[in-house]
Amino acid sequence: MDFKRQFKEGLLTKNPVTVQLLGMCSTLAITTSLFNGLGMGLSVTIILICSNVLISALRKVIPNQIRIAAYIVIIAGFVTIVDLCLQAFLPALSENLGVFIPLIVVNCIILGRAEAFASKNTVLASAVDGLCQGIGYTVALVIMCVIRELLGSGTFGGGILNGGEGIRIIPAQYPAMQMVMPVGGFLTLGAVIAGSQWLMKHLEKKEAAKK
Amino acid sequence: MNAYVQSLLGILLSAVLTENFILVKFYGICPFMGVSKKTDTAIGMGMAVTFVMGIACAACWVVNQWVLVPLELEYMQTVTFILVIASIVQVVEMFLKKTVPALYQALGIYLPLITTNCAVLGAALVNVQKGYDFLQSVVFGVCGGLGFTLAIVLFASIRERTDKSDCPQCFKGFPITLISAGLLALAFMGFSGLKIF
Amino acid sequence: MKTESTVKYVLRLALTLLAITAVVAACLAYVNGITKPRIDAAKAAKTQLAIETVLPGGGEEVQDFTDETGMVSKVYGSDTGYAVEVTPSGFNGTITMMVGVSKDGKVLGISMISQTETAGLGAVSAAKTAAGETFRGQYKGQSGTLAVSKDGGTIDALTGATITSRAVTTGVNAALSCVAGMD
Repeated sequence: MDFKRQFKEGLLTKNPVTVQLLGMCSTLAITTSLFNGLGMGLSVTIILICSNVLISALRKVIPNQIRIAAYIVIIAGFVTIVDLCLQAFLPALSENLGVFIPLIVVNCIILGRAEAFASKNTVLASAVDGLCQGIGYTVALVIMCVIRELLGSGTFGGGILNGGEGIRIIPAQYPAMQMVMPVGGFLTLGAVIAGSQWLMKHLEKKEAAKK
Repeated sequence: MNAYVQSLLGILLSAVLTENFILVKFYGICPFMGVSKKTDTAIGMGMAVTFVMGIACAACWVVNQWVLVPLELEYMQTVTFILVIASIVQVVEMFLKKTVPALYQALGIYLPLITTNCAVLGAALVNVQKGYDFLQSVVFGVCGGLGFTLAIVLFASIRERTDKSDCPQCFKGFPITLISAGLLALAFMGFSGLKIF
Repeated sequence: MKTESTVKYVLRLALTLLAITAVVAACLAYVNGITKPRIDAAKAAKTQLAIETVLPGGGEEVQDFTDETGMVSKVYGSDTGYAVEVTPSGFNGTITMMVGVSKDGKVLGISMISQTETAGLGAVSAAKTAAGETFRGQYKGQSGTLAVSKDGGTIDALTGATITSRAVTTGVNAALSCVAGMD
């Protein structure tokens, strides 16, 4: 158990979005306002922790041949629970994220972590892994949201701050609305991944220089 | 009848171009990035997805209308659909292995990936949301698949070129791929608002 | 595995999967039981609020109406006018909105119930912001057949969201023609 290493991996060196390139559908589609990004990130984190724990607990019970099917059923169960709870308690968020909530089922992060980590490790380690990967995913989403919202709508914190309108930073007539459209998703993700690659190289160099 | 045919053509047009699964709706980005290195594998993947999506949309429609709705179990949609899709993929895989081994060799590794392709589940869920009937659902599934194929093949041919050209160090690999995908999406934006019917 | 017969082996796989699916289904049924009343209540409250926004005092559901556009899903009526629920298709999907129309065929107001338009662009049409209020306010008092200014009409489209604005306008027109068809 190495919490610190797991945390660093989840956040940067093995970040699900920028390094493993998992779960990109939702990353690209819903990162148009801070509210959406946080909501999606937290939903995925919760589902990831729950499914990691359960799959890890059942790892000796589930026969190898049907493991993928079993994982998918378990994940789909948790996703539906979260979906129903959001509809009941946070209808605004559920409306914004739309079909991308049920689509968390096929978000490769969750199945990927189930297969790569939870099926081989203890319950506690899997829970920590779920938390770290979930945080890494949320952070990546939030960064994407902030960039796209600022450039695309000229605001910060849309959906949460300032009564839902967000704090206006760039006057309404200037923002490039393409940034909140599909194009902007691809461009921003490309730039964010490039940034994280640069950051990792930079950190590596620093460490090498220390030695 | 005429209006019905028009609605089908409308679905066709929007699924292939204006609401392209990958470039506008963001369904199925993972295989789009993973399998688009070569044009021929891209065509294979596109075909496999189109095929599976057509069948899956039909099957999910039947299950939803005849099982879930009468029993008032609509909240089980996600779970049921993903199971239906997973079994269809499994059957298609076994079928290909027996009958068209060459195609299986080419697609074998991608087929399991289709289960976790959001495009397939997405199409099934959108069908329910939009309240399409059986034929409309199948048309939507197949045309969505064709749109997917179009995007992935176009993109693969772009990628074959960009992979060989120079770009800043930190943009190497996926970042530059994403940027080119962005430009392709920009081109597809030109179709938005295109409505013949 | 070799000690097991094939039948037993297949059965074991099937039963394990069946057990997992059954447990998941049971959990879902339980959660659904808790959340369903809340979801339904929230939806009903939203519709009610939308009716009262566009038709002060609310109204009773009217069963008997003619709809040539295929967009009208429900009509509520009172002494002063009607609230018509219409579902035009927007940029990303169906928009559900309520349009208030007075007895003499003038728009009393519009209110969005649900939409999936692009955040910051088309979604502004439903936002409780100044821009959203201005956009929706334009329809008030209008009658006849409306169009956005790009199509030669009087409605100013939202910045970067002509398609959404057109869809909303189409919805309002559908509501107007539906009310015009009533006696």
